[in-house]
Formats: sequence, structure tokens, C-alpha cells
Amino acid sequence: MRVTKPLFLLSVVVCVSSVAHAQTVAPQETLIRNATVLTVTRGTLQNTDVLLRNGKIAGVGKNLSASPNARVIDGTGKYVMPGIIDCHSHSMLDTINEGTLAVTSMVRTEDVLNPTDVDLYRELAGGVTTLNLLHGSANPIGGLNTVVKIKYGRPASEFLFPGAMPGIKFALGENVKQSSRPNQPGVTRRYPNTRMGVEETIRDAFVRARDYKRAWDEYRAAAGKDKNLLPPRRDLQLEPLVEILEGKRYVHAHCYIASEILMLINLADEFGFKIKTFQHVLEGYKVAKEIAAHGAGASIFADSWSYKIEAYDAIPYNAAIMTRAGVVVSMNSDSDERARRLNIEAAKAMHWGELTEEQALRLITINPAIQLGVQERVGSIEVGKDADVAIWNGHPFSVYSRVDTTFVDGEVFFDRQQDLARRPALAKERAALEQAEPNRPAAPGQSPRAPGRRRPSQHDDTIEEEQP
Amino acid sequence: MPKVRPLTVTLVVLSFVSILFVSLAGAQRSAIDTYAITNARIVTVSGPTIERGTVVIRNGLIAAAGANVSAPSDARIIDGAGLTVYPGLIDSYTNLALPEAAPSPSPGGGGGGGGGFFAAQQRPTPGGPNSTQPPGLQPETMVEDVIRPGGNEIEASRSTGITTALISPRTGIWMGQSALINLAGGTPQEMIVRSPVAMHVGFTSLRGSYPGSLLGVFSTLRQMMLDAQRYRDSIALYERSPRGMRRPEMDRSLAALVPVVDGRMPVVMLANSEREISRALDLAAEFKLRLIIAGGRESDRVAARLVKQNVPVLLSLNLPRRTTAAIPEADPEPMRVLRDRVEAQQTAGKLAKAGVRFAFQSGSLTNISDLLANANRTIENGLSATDALRAFTISPATIFGVENQLGSVEAGKIANLTVTRGDLFDRNSRIAHVFIDGRPVDLRPAAGGPGGRNVLSGTWHLNISLGQAERAATLSLQQEGERLSGSISGSLGAGEISNASVTAAEVRFTVPLEIEGQTKEATFTGTLTGDQIRGTVTVVGLAPGSFSANRARPN
Repeated sequence: MRVTKPLFLLSVVVCVSSVAHAQTVAPQETLIRNATVLTVTRGTLQNTDVLLRNGKIAGVGKNLSASPNARVIDGTGKYVMPGIIDCHSHSMLDTINEGTLAVTSMVRTEDVLNPTDVDLYRELAGGVTTLNLLHGSANPIGGLNTVVKIKYGRPASEFLFPGAMPGIKFALGENVKQSSRPNQPGVTRRYPNTRMGVEETIRDAFVRARDYKRAWDEYRAAAGKDKNLLPPRRDLQLEPLVEILEGKRYVHAHCYIASEILMLINLADEFGFKIKTFQHVLEGYKVAKEIAAHGAGASIFADSWSYKIEAYDAIPYNAAIMTRAGVVVSMNSDSDERARRLNIEAAKAMHWGELTEEQALRLITINPAIQLGVQERVGSIEVGKDADVAIWNGHPFSVYSRVDTTFVDGEVFFDRQQDLARRPALAKERAALEQAEPNRPAAPGQSPRAPGRRRPSQHDDTIEEEQP
Repeated sequence: MPKVRPLTVTLVVLSFVSILFVSLAGAQRSAIDTYAITNARIVTVSGPTIERGTVVIRNGLIAAAGANVSAPSDARIIDGAGLTVYPGLIDSYTNLALPEAAPSPSPGGGGGGGGGFFAAQQRPTPGGPNSTQPPGLQPETMVEDVIRPGGNEIEASRSTGITTALISPRTGIWMGQSALINLAGGTPQEMIVRSPVAMHVGFTSLRGSYPGSLLGVFSTLRQMMLDAQRYRDSIALYERSPRGMRRPEMDRSLAALVPVVDGRMPVVMLANSEREISRALDLAAEFKLRLIIAGGRESDRVAARLVKQNVPVLLSLNLPRRTTAAIPEADPEPMRVLRDRVEAQQTAGKLAKAGVRFAFQSGSLTNISDLLANANRTIENGLSATDALRAFTISPATIFGVENQLGSVEAGKIANLTVTRGDLFDRNSRIAHVFIDGRPVDLRPAAGGPGGRNVLSGTWHLNISLGQAERAATLSLQQEGERLSGSISGSLGAGEISNASVTAAEVRFTVPLEIEGQTKEATFTGTLTGDQIRGTVTVVGLAPGSFSANRARPN
């Protein structure tokens, strides 16, 4: 009977925590009354109600009525904003880089999702609801991305953003040519070692992809006549590149300097595909017109630079200059920490370059939505869109503002009051667990490991994940 | 007469030779191949338990088992009064009997090029004979080729009551193909019950070459399975009409994967966490594989999917426990870690309730004698003893497709039997006999370590000879695997034992003793033989002494 007590405690806590996470039926209808609504695409609406029903935004206006069982939240003095979209994240990835080869388009971030990554919860607490999970920047052509909605507490399969455009990570410059990697005697450095080699690597891959596509086209044409024909070998490395050539997959290209940006635009034009976003793109302001002409977006930091040689020629006016040149610009985190305060990153663009409040809001909402092909679903508060919204206790561009509640598909995935209420029960559970037999320290033993970083930092891409 | 004599001589010689021949032939196997365990409780697993019956073993097989079975006249009789006969236990996943892990290939050579131009550099170096793949990606590897009979590990395992084990390759992504072996026999050929049993997959990366991360591992697994499908199709096409077709290139690695992608050979994937198991399930669904999960620590959380996809689990009894000391200034352990350790004990019970098929495995326990102790913990946490026994017997037999040969006490099955004094899952029970392929095997003398199964637990009469004095005390010990606790009381004072360790070779612990008016730490180091521990006792400042402890028998 010794086990009964901890078990009982455990079940209590499971019940408490399942309030937020275990709903499988349609989420509860929610009516937020009398709030300031930052619609992003339709201006700022004062004293306005927002109705969330069946996972969608069902109404935006005055004096909306809800069904009797709806939860009504008094939004007086509060701000409702679309869920923030982070166009460059490595959260919930068990591993980020497959850096052994220069072209790893066969690897998929979807294979290594960790839905229990606590960073996700912290991001929800920062009003973030959608992430573009990208492969690292170890190679010119990296792995496939995954666009997710943060449904913390659910299996990974429920995170996948339905209908998001498939994408892939490209990378240029210092990381891929491994310029900061020391030479080791006896070890051949991975090709490429120069920016010229980076271009050659990408061109070579697309030449092979073009040939591969032709082989399959020819096979499909001939297969009807000859039943005994063996199909070409399926090549998982080249298949995504064919999709890029066919316009079915977005390219998100990590880059820094103007010359390499122009190189990639030219290369894409040569093969007839588009770069969907340039990531980081610190010198984007120098070639903003060319980026706009190509139709590419830019996903950048607000004011982070000088962390490596290629990141020196940067200015905080990057967002404003590119926006004015007609580039769709977003602010991303590329960091589990910064992801919690993207609202402040966007606010900086009002200071540096004097973007309007709406332009600044777009940097973390509708613009990244466009860059991920999900602008019909999220990124603004409009009737019919997904109920991915956050209630803030002040204007999100104030450093004093906090998120009260974050909804994804109309369901609460973060609620500050619930979180605070849960803490005593969690403390109790911890006490019980510490006493459980498997948790009692075996003596003599070693002391616990000092808390370390969960994985090498991806902050600003300064440190590339060490390859094994 | 002279004519007759040679004939007589010949006959005599011939008959002598034939007698010699027959007896030699017999000696080649064993003088005795018939045994009867009489008056024993028989837990058949397949049918009702027989409270008092006889098991007859003949020629390596169970000849009969039942209440009304009588021992044949030529049988060696084992009096089973007070004994319980179980089917031999099966360890459903282990690296027993394999040579030590080879040192991993040194990193070097770097990666390949960007493909195409540098494609030659990208090609992995073949590691095995005629393999197209580097070590770690050689599904053609067969465990049966490297099994080593005998050795300490095998002896320790069968002393715990294990008669049969699935031997998995040690390392790799495509690790190779496993073999089910009986833990007795002088040659691998004698030991193998079935080989290959399954293909084994581990989600580890290669060092310094592709795939160097979990990302690449999945892509590599996929690409090789796609290649195997195409290899199969091209061979089939070629065999149908070789004329006019360029012959497909031989590829041992892809050939080994054909039964896997055809769903003929099951694939055992190492996966413990919920997400690892989900990924394995996804991959299996994508390629229509016959999946078996090994490890399965959090498998109860995906029980519904396991049932739906009909995937069994080889559940590790290497239960997690805290191995670090508590230090106040250290960061507290995450809740998830604390929860997972507690919940791991409940996994087996939850799997049984959800209807997931599962078998127990030792999971590289450092001390195999913890196997039954940990099984007990799963029983205390919701698993029925019946289901626990099935997870050691008929369940693994069924999962590995040998349910007609192993897993229950039934006539016609291989005579692998584990005979205990006391119930198998009783902490104080002991393994009395183990039969493998119809023959009793030597059990390790009960020591503190492997095979001992917590035999140190109990009360001991302690005699200490230190300096000139002989002192008596009572020692009370509680053993749980390698963990030992207890207390001492008597003319030398009373105290708790500390710094205790138990290995196969020795028992070691420290107790405070009151000697000459002072409390001193005395360290006991001894070995267990039968019901006696003998060894030395050292006290700082005194000449080493000796001690003996005799098990106190309940009256």
C-alpha cells in the first residue's frame, strides 16, 4: 500500500494539468468582450468583442452574443492580438543539423520533433502560436522544414500546420564553408570551403535534380507502353529539389552579405525558381530592390550583429528600408529565448526607421504568415481565420505587458492564472515524487550534473551545432 | 574345431565392438537423457497450474507433464517436493554471448562533397566483406556468426532462471539480424533455436560521416528501404526475362532488407520515450513493416497505437532510478525526470490493461540478478503475477514465432524449465534447478551477486574475531540487487550498516562498532558460500580480524 499515496497525488495533478491539454472535442466557445483589438490587417479596434467558436474567429465587432455555455472574458483594458509567428525557430527539434554532407535535402525536421520541449510553453507565454522549424545552417542545402502550431501537451502529429507550404533550408557563407572550423591534421575538410564552392554545390544539386526530373518524366511517358520498365531509383535527396523547381516547396535561405544574396537570386532565376525568404539577411538593406524584384521575403533580427565577420555590416534600419522597398519582412527569433519576446523585437522597428505601429505588427504576424504560405489561416484577426490569438494585459509593444491567455485553434494552451494556480499542486507532486523509491538517491553516488545548455546555442547562428 | 574358432572369435570381437560403439554413441550425448521431476507444483502457463504433479523430460523435450504422470523407470528422479516448475524464462532482448563491442571507427575522412562532382568522396567505405555499406548500415550482419558459447554472462543469466535469450546485435543503425538461443551448449549451432529472428534498428548516428545525426538516420533508413524495394523488383524482373536486360548489381545489404520491406521479417526498433516510439510507429506504417518495439519505457503512452498497429513491446526491466546523491545546492531534477522514473514501474501494468502484447527483457542490466527484483516492482505497480510470468515465457515465444517450441510446460516442447524453491516472484525464492534442452545446467553457487537474487536478505549470526576477543552479534540485512542495507546489534553496540556493496565476488559494508569504549567504523569484506559469509574485518588502528556470519534459520 506504500505506493498508493504518491499515486493518488499524481492523479490529482494530472487532472489539473489536463484541463488545458486534454480536450479532444471542439474547444469551448470564448467571447472576449470590450478589448482593444489589434487586427493587423483591419486596423486597431477599440472596445471590441472577439468571438472564438469551433477553432475559428467567428466574430469581431461590438456587442457580439455567444451561446450560453461560452466562456466570457472581460477584455476591458486588454489587447487582443493575432498569435505571433516565428519564421525561424529550432525549438522542439531533437537535432538541428545533419552537417556531414553539403547537400542534405533528404533529411526532414518532421522526423525529430520533440513535443515536450518546454521552450514551446515559454513561447506560448510570449504570445507565439506558430513556428517555422528550420534545419540548421551547416550546409548549402539543408533539410526540410516543418511549420507547426504550438499545441503543447499534444503528440507531435497534432502540431503540424495543415496546409502550410513545404519548405527547405538553404544556407550561404561562413557556416557552410566552415570558416570558423579549425583545420585538423589528417581530416579532409568538407567541400565547399569558399563562397564560390557554395554556389557550385547548389548549382550542381539542381543540375542533378533537373536530370532526375527528366528521368522520371521519360519513365512516366514510356511506362504506359512498356509494363516491364523499371522505374528510376527514387532519390530522397533530389525529390525536394524537384519540388522546388516545380514551385511546390519554399526556399528559406540563411544569408548575410549582399553579394551572396545576389548570387542566390541569380542562381534561382537561372533554374526558374523563387527564394521565398532570405533569413537573417543582415545586408538586405543594400540589395532591397533586387530582393523585392525577385519576389522574396526577408526574415531578420531587429538589432543583432557583429557576432561574426559576415555580420558586421548591419544596421538596425534593415526592416524599415526593406519594407519601404516593397519586401515582405518578418522578425524572427532563431533562439528559444528571444522567441518569447518577439513583440519587443517588432517594436524596435518603430524606433529604428519609424515604421508605423501596423507595419511593425505585421513583422511578427501577417508577414511571416505570407512567408510560410499560411496567410489565409493566421496572421490577423479576421472572421473565418483560425482562432490563434493572445490576450495581452497591455499593448504588446510595451516592455511592461504580459500575455494573459494564448489560444491556438480556439483552445487555451497558455493561461497565466491557470499556471499560477497549478503551482502549489506541482510543488506537492514534486515532494511526493522525491520520496518515491526510484527517486531516492542511491548512496554513495555522484552529485547531479551541473545544469548545462540543453544543446549548443543557435543564438544568432554564432555557434553552429557541433558535428559528431 | 579349428574352423569354428576364428568365427567364434570374430563374433565375440564383433559383439564387443558393437557394444563399445553403442556405448560410445550414447556417451557422445549424455549417459542420462531422461529426467522426472516428481511431486512438484507445475506452472504450465498454457493451462491450469498443477499443484502436485510430475514432469518427464526425455531426449531434450518435455515428454509429459501432469498430475497423473508417472516417472519412467529409466528416469533420473528429482524430488520436486516444495519445488515449482516453470517454463524456462526468456530474456527477449540482450547482447549476451557476443564479443565485446569493437572500438568505434575513428572519425576522419570528413564528409563527402556536394554530390555529383565529388560523389566518389561521398561513397561510404565498405566495412564488411562485399558489403556496399559502412559498419552501422549493414543489415546483412548475422548475430549467429559471432555467438560465443559459455562465459560468465551466460552463466549468470541462467542462474537467474533464464534459459533462452534473443541476442541482438550490439550497435548500428541497421544493426543486423538477431538469433534466439538456448543458454547452454558448446557450440553456437547447438544453442540456436531460431535464426534469424528479426532485423534490428537503432537510431544512433555514425561518427564523422553520413548519417551523422538523427535527422540523417531516418533519411538513410528510408532511402535504403526504397533501394531494397527497387532491388527486389529489379531482380524479379531480371529473373523473369534476363535476355536483353542488364543484370542488376549484387548487393548484400539491400538483399538482407528485402524480407523486411516485404513484411516477412519483423523489425525490432530501439525506442524508449513516447516520441521515439511514435517515430518508429510512423516509419513502420510508412513502409508497412512488422514492427517490434524494444525498450518501451513510455510505451503505455502510445498503447492505443501499439494495439491498432499490432506492435508488441520487448519491455526493458532496466528500470530507471536515481543514481546521483542529493546535494542541496544543486538544481532540482526536472519534474519530468522524477515522474518518468516512477511511471516506468507502471508501464508493464498499463500495457497489460491496454491489451498490448509485451515481453520482458533485461535491457543490459548491470546486474542480471535485478531482473526478477525489477519484475517484482512492476507487479507492485499494477501488473498481475500471471501477466508477469507470461511476459517471461509464452509472450516472447509467440512474438518470436517459437510458441510451438517454447514458453510453456507442455508435452512436445523443448525441455527448458526453471525450477524454484518458493514462488518465482517471491523475493525469498531461490532457483533450485534449470533445465535447458532437457539437461540440468550448473548454477552459480549462491553469491551476493548474479544468480543470488537477494539471498543476503535475512538475519545472520555474526562472529567477529578482532585482536584477542571473539564477539557475537546479530546482523540483519536487506538486499535489493546490488543495494544492501541493514543493521547490527549485540555486545559491540548497535548501528546501521553503510557503504554497502554487493558483487558476484564479494559483500562489503561498514558498521559502527563499540570497541574499547570508542565507536569505530568497521569494514566487513566477505564472500558468501551456502548459508555462510566469511571474510575479513578491518578497523582503523587495529590489526585486521576475521568474521563469519551464519544464516539464522527460522524455527
